[in-house]
Amino acid sequence: MPKRKLIPLPSAAFQILLALAGEDLHGYGIMRQVAEQTHGRMRLGPGTLYSSIQTLVDAKLIEETEPREDVKLGHERRRYYRLTSAGRKLARLEAERLADLLRLARAKKILRGEYV
Amino acid sequence: MSEKIYAWLLRLFPSRFREAYGEEALQLVRDRCRDEKGFLLRLRLWLDLLGDLALSVPRAYFRVQPELTSYAAHLRSEGVPSLLILPDESLGAGTLFLGGVLTLAATIAFSFLLNHGVKHVPLSALIRPARSSADHRSSSFSPRPPEPARDSQEGGIAAASGRQPEMAATSSRPQNSKPNDAPSNGPAPADALRPRKEESGQLLRSSNAILAGAHLKRAERERVIRGAVANLKKHYIDPVVAQKMADALVGHEKKGDDNAATDGRAFAELLTQQMRDVSHDRHLELLYSEAPLPELAPTATPALEARYRKAMEQANCTFEPVKILPHHIGYLKFDSFPDPSLCQQTAAAAMASLNDADAIIFDLRDNRGGYPGMVTLIAAYLFDHPEYMYNPRQDTTADSWTRSPVPGSRLADKPVYLLTSARTLSGAEHFSYDLKMLKRATVVGETTGGASDVGTFHRLDDHFGMGIPEARAINPYREPDWAGTGVRPDVEVKARDALETAVRLAERKLQKK
Repeated sequence: MPKRKLIPLPSAAFQILLALAGEDLHGYGIMRQVAEQTHGRMRLGPGTLYSSIQTLVDAKLIEETEPREDVKLGHERRRYYRLTSAGRKLARLEAERLADLLRLARAKKILRGEYV
Repeated sequence: MSEKIYAWLLRLFPSRFREAYGEEALQLVRDRCRDEKGFLLRLRLWLDLLGDLALSVPRAYFRVQPELTSYAAHLRSEGVPSLLILPDESLGAGTLFLGGVLTLAATIAFSFLLNHGVKHVPLSALIRPARSSADHRSSSFSPRPPEPARDSQEGGIAAASGRQPEMAATSSRPQNSKPNDAPSNGPAPADALRPRKEESGQLLRSSNAILAGAHLKRAERERVIRGAVANLKKHYIDPVVAQKMADALVGHEKKGDDNAATDGRAFAELLTQQMRDVSHDRHLELLYSEAPLPELAPTATPALEARYRKAMEQANCTFEPVKILPHHIGYLKFDSFPDPSLCQQTAAAAMASLNDADAIIFDLRDNRGGYPGMVTLIAAYLFDHPEYMYNPRQDTTADSWTRSPVPGSRLADKPVYLLTSARTLSGAEHFSYDLKMLKRATVVGETTGGASDVGTFHRLDDHFGMGIPEARAINPYREPDWAGTGVRPDVEVKARDALETAVRLAERKLQKK
């Protein structure tokens, strides 16, 4: 039997899924939303952002929508991304996995109750 | 600006990525540039971009997120797994290749920098700053690197570094003190040291070029005099005389007596004369070297010692085979006085093969000196009682006496002839001078080179140095030693005729018996 290991969802991908959970966003919108929801700790650079988007699109976890303008950012047409149902499901599963981890951490007295 | 740079950096990504998202990535940078103004925000932007490049470019080439696809496929087929388990994957061939290439590039770049960083000429060599004299111990002041100082076994001067040769590669007298005329006469210690000269010479060649043929500047004259005064006060054996000499040097300088000396060699001779006028010490001298003097005195390194040992082994310690000439005249030519700790056996064997001779000729015409211990060791065979071998370089110790008689030696009463030439130097002059003064040998040939390698060498700057004697052995003889003048032969003939003359003298002497 080969050695096995656990591979969690990459955190950038998970954050993108979460960012798209509320509304459809273009790339820069995703970047700003991720920065906001992580309190500025994660600023996705263009390389990481778009390679993650590429991977997520390939896996059909998100999908591109019709390009349109973002009125707040001028008249450029931008590609928007939308969470698919598979993506939403995966995000929920990842969140549950993390919640399991949290429960475990609490049970082991690593985390105290007030954090969750 | 930032956008243009990033557009260029985007080429690092694979074309597939650029086609799909290149424009959007640029747009994102444009957006951030518009929104994040000010130095700190711009700095943060660029740190983000560079950090992102470092992470995502390799990822873009070696897609490290394949698990997502299988993750999704897994979801669709199975329903609700909370954990994903995949077979372990080893590093891909591409990753290993990239790592190897980067390591190789870093290694090459590092060695390249290392080589080219060291070769540059130090600024100090170009501007030739005033430098306080570094103390160099040397046995010769000719234009070559100072050699390790003299044999410490006999006490006195060089106490620290063990056995070291007294040997001159060239005489410091003007007529034969060009830097490159050192005759190569077999593997003598000087040969072992010669490569060091080339190494150190490279660094300083540029400064040499500046001085070569140029007139001596007033500033340099002042610097040399300042250095000489400081060294005299610090090192000269008699502080009162040192002060007198220092005053004389400064006085002559103030009177403008030195202004005529625009050539380095003439200036060095002038200062030497000024010091000697006061002290009458012929062992004190100031020297000019056209070739730059090395910054640091060479020390006896194990590598150097190993080379010397090997050279001595190959050259039979510079002893040529003993020849027995007609009328039982033994002839031995040796071209140095090698380190006794390496060559004692060889010397003993050579002396033993002379045992049956009725007269002995030592050919010192190409002998450039060596270790005083060997001088005393060979001389010991020629006496039936311990004899004092005066050596102006060293204070008198127990080792200044020969260990005579040598058991088994029958040489103590045989007539001895020494062949000399102008190339006979240093330790060979020591040997000749003492045997001549003791009337134990007849010196046949030319006046010897007159190596004045008697003091400790002190570097004044790149081209000037001075020798200051630190030992004061009492000369038991009326005639001054060889320093600067050489040993005058008892029978003066051309060096090439010396052997013939000595043979004739020996034959005549043996017939009288």
